[in-house]
Amino acid sequence: MASPVSVYNSNVLDAHISSTSRESLKMELLADVTLLPGEERIIDKDIIYICPFSGAVKGKVLITNYRLYFKSCDADVAVTLDVPLGAISRVEKMGGVSSRGENSYGLDITCKDMRNLRFALKQEGHSRRDIFELLFKHAFPISHGLPLFAYVTQEKYEENGWSVYRPVEELRRQGLPNNKWRITFINKNYELCDTYPAVLAVPFKCKEEDLRRVSSFRSRGRIPVLSWIHRENRAAIARCSQPLVGMSGKRNKDDERYLDLIRDANDTAKLTIYDARPNVNAVANKATGGGYEGDEYHNAELVFLDIHNIHVMRESLKKLKDIVYPNVEESHWLSSLESTHWLEHIKLVLSGAIQVADKVSSGNSVVVHCSDGWDRTAQLTSLAMLMLDSHYRTLKGLQVLIEKEWISFGHKFTSVRNFTCVRPECRSGCLLGFAKNTAVCVCVCACARACVCLIVLVRVQRIGHGDKNHADQDRSPIFVQFMDCVWQMSKQFPTAFEFNERLLLTILEHLYSCRFGTFLYNCESAREQNALRQKTVSLWSLVNSKTELYLNPFYTPESGRVLYPVASMRHLELWVTYYIRWNPRIRQQQSPVEQRYLELLALRDEYIKKLEELRLSDSSRLADDGPGGDTSSPSPASSPTRQQHYTHLQTPF
Amino acid sequence: MEFSEHIKTANVEDVVLQQPLHPPSKGTLCITSHHLLFSDREERSGRQVLLLLRNIDAVEKRATESSGTLVIKCKDLRVLQLEIPGMEQCLNIAQSIETLSCLDCVAEMYPFFYRPSNASLRDQWGLSTPERHYTEMEALHGRWRLSTVNQDYSVCPSYPPAVIVPKAIGDDALKKAAKFRQGGRFPVLCYYHRKNGTVILRSSQPLAGANRKRCIQDELLLQAAIEGSDKGYIIDTRSAQQAQQARMMGGGFESKSCYSGWKRLHRHMERGKTLQESLIKLVEACGDKSPNMDRWLSKLENSKWLSHVQTALSTAGLLAECVERDGRSVLVHGSEGTGSTLLISTLAQLIMDPSCRTLEGFLTLLEREFVQAGHPFQQRCSHSAFSHARLQQECPVFLLLLDCVWQLWYQFPLALGFSEALLLRLATEAYSSDYGTFLCNSDMERCALQVKGKTHCLFRVLLKPREREQYTNPLYEPNELAIWPSVHPQSLQLWRGFFLRWTQQTHHLELVQEDIRNMVIEWGKLALS
Repeated sequence: MASPVSVYNSNVLDAHISSTSRESLKMELLADVTLLPGEERIIDKDIIYICPFSGAVKGKVLITNYRLYFKSCDADVAVTLDVPLGAISRVEKMGGVSSRGENSYGLDITCKDMRNLRFALKQEGHSRRDIFELLFKHAFPISHGLPLFAYVTQEKYEENGWSVYRPVEELRRQGLPNNKWRITFINKNYELCDTYPAVLAVPFKCKEEDLRRVSSFRSRGRIPVLSWIHRENRAAIARCSQPLVGMSGKRNKDDERYLDLIRDANDTAKLTIYDARPNVNAVANKATGGGYEGDEYHNAELVFLDIHNIHVMRESLKKLKDIVYPNVEESHWLSSLESTHWLEHIKLVLSGAIQVADKVSSGNSVVVHCSDGWDRTAQLTSLAMLMLDSHYRTLKGLQVLIEKEWISFGHKFTSVRNFTCVRPECRSGCLLGFAKNTAVCVCVCACARACVCLIVLVRVQRIGHGDKNHADQDRSPIFVQFMDCVWQMSKQFPTAFEFNERLLLTILEHLYSCRFGTFLYNCESAREQNALRQKTVSLWSLVNSKTELYLNPFYTPESGRVLYPVASMRHLELWVTYYIRWNPRIRQQQSPVEQRYLELLALRDEYIKKLEELRLSDSSRLADDGPGGDTSSPSPASSPTRQQHYTHLQTPF
Repeated sequence: MEFSEHIKTANVEDVVLQQPLHPPSKGTLCITSHHLLFSDREERSGRQVLLLLRNIDAVEKRATESSGTLVIKCKDLRVLQLEIPGMEQCLNIAQSIETLSCLDCVAEMYPFFYRPSNASLRDQWGLSTPERHYTEMEALHGRWRLSTVNQDYSVCPSYPPAVIVPKAIGDDALKKAAKFRQGGRFPVLCYYHRKNGTVILRSSQPLAGANRKRCIQDELLLQAAIEGSDKGYIIDTRSAQQAQQARMMGGGFESKSCYSGWKRLHRHMERGKTLQESLIKLVEACGDKSPNMDRWLSKLENSKWLSHVQTALSTAGLLAECVERDGRSVLVHGSEGTGSTLLISTLAQLIMDPSCRTLEGFLTLLEREFVQAGHPFQQRCSHSAFSHARLQQECPVFLLLLDCVWQLWYQFPLALGFSEALLLRLATEAYSSDYGTFLCNSDMERCALQVKGKTHCLFRVLLKPREREQYTNPLYEPNELAIWPSVHPQSLQLWRGFFLRWTQQTHHLELVQEDIRNMVIEWGKLALS
């Protein structure tokens, strides 16, 4: 269990590493790669991996239609890489045939998961041409007319993850419809709002034509709809996009009336509108036709939560990457970490969600929005729901939460890359990669009713060598940030979540991998058009077929409790096991701990079984006593349920 | 001395107490020779706060005409506030606290008065002795012997009466070697590595001085320690430059020419005042109440506490690497050999030796390597981070050790048999305690004051069944391998459990840890029955 960590300045200690390569081993290097059903070998090749931690490592690379796999041939420097092609954001040639210097000719690969890979090849005979072309083709399949791997895979699982989330069922679980809220199918053809799901919950008193008029006043038609409702006090969380107030300060009576209906549904004096943005940004949005709710909204108060936009977050994450990969900042780690502002952003998101949750649990309905209502809004509503509703803290519950607040409500999983295409009519597209001076871009036209995917080749203008900046735009820090917040909460409440850290890491891995359909496309309409549910496998199929890997043995359900994490810098931590997971020197002892947790889960199950047996023998003994038995003994019907076995150990808080 | 001389006001009514994690309450304050006692007036709450005066690091008073406020800052980092009606009473109380919390005379301290009903002074004191330690390690007996040259503490006042030395070296030679080492701390064995037979020795610096004095007995002693094996390493916990400078003051280092079997490695570790100031800065940052915490990480970094943790762990790692991976024996020393020397030899043993990682093993290790080995607890722990008194010999070496152990615990959640709660308890007890364990600076002083006959032993108490259960790690799995800590700044965390102990969040986590432990124990009891 000793980790391969040796970082003391051990200049006195000779490292006895033999460099003899073992030829016989070399041949079978790739024999032990387990391919997924449907995965096909494309090419393998002798290559040198320029490992940022161990230096140049000779080995073999295998490229399939799903992954890039590398294994070193020197048994003493055991380096293995297993990178899903979906995680690759850019492939570039490094050096030329005439480049001088050792290992200067090869490939440079930028990934979306906080790492870069560099390979060197022999300079003679265009040795990289075939591998570059094949890698480029399969890493960016759409731009080459190939299907994504999620459409190719033949994986079969016991569980069908697509059945985890059923919108109407979830609304029913929350107690809807009731006399104040109803379920509407007005958006079943995605005509009201192309980025919203088909099933929506809206105030009972609101008519369908009202909804249409409101949608004209909300950015991209994203009207306020219900995300969650408190079972007892009936306070609701509604989400939407910004109102289209503009410079002239437009008003819309229907929108004003509609928000008042949300307030009215709970019969409180004031509705609180949380605008996730900083005040200045909200004002600036007026220039582009957006804005925020003004005084004309009676009975409403507006609170700005000061959370910065996606660009600021991306910059922050980029800075974070700079200090952790490939080399971790050593001498001024904490102040460098501070200067990335990453933890500060986490703090603001968490404290925003705490405010939302607190307002709702004290009985007041809230409306949450940012600009478009699919980034910061999703963070706030989903985190607040996680704090308020213990159901979302279970393994299945978190899946529902992600499916609902993120996937169905149109978080731009595919085009969060936010690359501005030079084609004027293309409003947002996603950069897929570069070839020579050409960027390959998939445009998702927001103007079109449904998301139509076009493949456009655009000349990158005036970017030339400076294309590095684009590569770093390829990430979706908003969802990562959400996962980070969930992780922070699970650290602060170690017994409150049914799932463990591994689930969060697995979700983030497959956010990019393209192995599952779960995070493909930006909205429900596009998913339907591409028959996602029929043709791909859900990530939750993988998870739910082997749940024990993702369970927290210490989970103690507490249904009524609202979790308020501490959003103070002093109690927040960098999620090292995610952000610095590629560095072998930092990696903590994951596998023995996971093994121990599995044992503990088994022990817990054994305990529950024994307890059950004891109870059964008790009750049968009682039954034997016959009708004349002691009536004061507990009847079998009142014996505690499985759930209560844990709850007697509740934390007094 | 009569304690009552220092108590002008013993009782005050209507005092308002504010303490962390509790709402303010009103009640009676009582001061006794060793305690501050607050009893809540509300009948139903029945809450009492009993605080050892020794735990109080600083008292700040703010008086107005009719009343006064005392802010009491404790060595366990708790901050209490008392509002006392009547200025005179307030000043009297403050005066009493100031005097009674800093008693110099050890024999007047509370451990000599503490008489719990469930323990007897005739109970065994301590967990082990040098004799027993020697007897248990039979593999040693071929080449090492137990010397009682120091049985009357005349050779080295800070060593225990018996020490383990090479068999080839007689007691007379030891006496001479002791004269050549600061404070008489000649090289003695502290650890024997079963896997490869190498050893760790520790000592203080040689008194070579500017004239490069030599001591043949010292050279022979060290030569005998590695007879027949590879070159040994000397890990000097000072930088090469510091070691050079020490020669001007009569100290020094082992020169290459005189100690040809040994190779010196210098690792600069901060000590004394620098460490104490680092602790003060850290505690100040942790206690910063301002809502704007955006400079928190910089403040944490500026305190340098975590970099001291890093240096300690990496030097200990180096030591363990020499022994475990390289198969070399090592001598460790700094200058006095009672601070950083003990710190890294203790940590290295924890890294390498699985038997030190159980609850009992760890306490035995602390007893041997800190208490018996002569870490001057009384001087080092007389004040903590809040004191306004001028710094004298205070230095949080022991706290740094506990922090490093916590880092190991955090990085290897399964490898240690004890819990964070134990480390917290030890961090508190070292500064103020009902028990005699951390009293005095050396075995000699403890012997003179009959500490073992007149006080109770903390380590013994911690191993009693009920306490033991409280301090075990439910996830513990015995593991024969060495546990190599990662010492990158990214892997090191602030020990929130201690430094932010009196916040709601940390308190909550403490309770959760307790729940988890109880859960696992209960599962085990039934499932394996």
